[in-house]
Amino acid sequence: MIKFSFLLFSIAIANGCMGQKKQATTPIIFETVCKGDISILNKNLVNDFGENYTITKLKYYVSNVKFETREKRKTTGDVNLIDAAKKNIISLPVTNKKNITGISFLLGVDSILNCSGAQSGALDPLNDMFWTWNNGYIFFKLEGNSKVSKADLHRIEHHIGGFKGSNKTMRKIYLPINEALLKGKKNLVIQLDINKYWNGINKLKLAEQPVIATPGILAKNVADNFDAMFSIKNN
Amino acid sequence: MKFKVTIFFFLFFAAALLLISAGKILYAPTPLKFSVPKGFPAPPTNIFTKNRLTPQGFDLGKKMFYDARLSKNGEVSCASCHQQFAAFATYDHDLSHGVNNSFSNRNAPALINLAWMKEWHWDGGISHIEMLPLSPLSAANEMGEKLDTVILKLKADASYTRMFKAAFGDATITTERMLKAFAQFTGSLVSADSKYDKVKRGEATFILPEQKGYEIFKANCNSCHREPLFTDNSFRSNGIMLNRFNDVGRQAITQDKKDSLKFKVPTLRNIALTLPYMHDGQINSLEKVITHYTTLNTGIVNLDPLLTKKINLTDKEQKQLVLFLYTLTDTSFTKNKRFAP
Repeated sequence: MIKFSFLLFSIAIANGCMGQKKQATTPIIFETVCKGDISILNKNLVNDFGENYTITKLKYYVSNVKFETREKRKTTGDVNLIDAAKKNIISLPVTNKKNITGISFLLGVDSILNCSGAQSGALDPLNDMFWTWNNGYIFFKLEGNSKVSKADLHRIEHHIGGFKGSNKTMRKIYLPINEALLKGKKNLVIQLDINKYWNGINKLKLAEQPVIATPGILAKNVADNFDAMFSIKNN
Repeated sequence: MKFKVTIFFFLFFAAALLLISAGKILYAPTPLKFSVPKGFPAPPTNIFTKNRLTPQGFDLGKKMFYDARLSKNGEVSCASCHQQFAAFATYDHDLSHGVNNSFSNRNAPALINLAWMKEWHWDGGISHIEMLPLSPLSAANEMGEKLDTVILKLKADASYTRMFKAAFGDATITTERMLKAFAQFTGSLVSADSKYDKVKRGEATFILPEQKGYEIFKANCNSCHREPLFTDNSFRSNGIMLNRFNDVGRQAITQDKKDSLKFKVPTLRNIALTLPYMHDGQINSLEKVITHYTTLNTGIVNLDPLLTKKINLTDKEQKQLVLFLYTLTDTSFTKNKRFAP
């Protein structure tokens, strides 16, 4: 009898602890590189226009990360703040690897979450990614310095955001993957090549635009370069 | 014996379950009702659906509103620039004082009927009432404090720990909770009991010049300062030229040239108490405001279309209009102990 009640008790406890079924997940790692070099912060870098610069801070939002499959998948609604100074791992539930055609995410935060009031976690204004005077999240924040910058202290300050109208800056990123790419891999590494930030569809010269700190056409032009920055590490 | 042990285990288990659920039940702050005054439209969004209004949340918001310690040098609170006797504007100051003798660039807007707005500030840069405190808390020429330091200050004060627990069920202090509590206080600042309201409810009557003034108001001012909120909460250019701060108003938010020099139409409720007027407080009396409109150069670029028609008022009519505006003063709002520290 005692044994029986113990059994009941432990089943109840176990149920309580494992209220959610453990689902298989794939770790997605976000890395920042510059022309293949991992770790870019506080290093001398040169862009394709021959401009020397250093990045001291790089943070950006990645939301709705999901595997694209042949079936329709619901958006996850997750918002993650990626910080180049930290390890960034997102665990993504995976159902059937055979069905996966790609991985997608929104660089930025969708418009509703930009005006939903006080939020916690990645969207806590404490993360210093929220414009207090012109409400909305900074989707992509790059700070550093360069001798070619004419701004105060030769600084580079690109705070890219804006979620309204034609100047909105969130971008859906889609990276195709196939079964072969996933084979034998424990995780998936998504790389952001900062060199392509400057040299993309739009050519961004540091000497011309060291500071962008409001939503608008300049920010929109930067956002048009977002898509080409990302790729899946192939090894 | 075995049976007793079993019973003991079951009782123990039941008690444990009960305690867990009681933790949730025990936190039961009384909800506070937000009532829409008679004759008012329903607010465009219910700001209290995702932020349940409770006396505990309201009290916490009020305490923070009056707490100067939250500013960088401990001298400026929200209430320094939003004074209750001035209907939560800064009385007789064109610009307001921030920390270290700094000045703001705009006239502090009165905090009246904020729950009926969709965008806040003169330029509408604030998209949610809960985000309203972030800018004044952190702006160098207002309270000048870093957000993380504000949170640390709250955490260091045992009375705040108690109040956060009472309002939210546990003592965790987060930005989200702080902002929600602020909104419970500011969103509750409803003014709807002026003489005008009493007349509308049949509890009072206008004297003749007030009645005449009301008719002048309806003929000339009501399309922007629309009853009963006395604002349509739109952004308009009213002929005030670019000031020394190069303040383009709404254009800074939308990046659209069409929005150059557009500012939010302020409510006229309690207008006699919120002097001086306009976004930079450049006009210091109601009489002069009326003169601004009657002598307006209707050829100004970007002037609101509603103002391109000349407004002609005799001296007597202007005085009657001012007398009507005085009837919008609501002393039950400015003297309401609920809103006082």
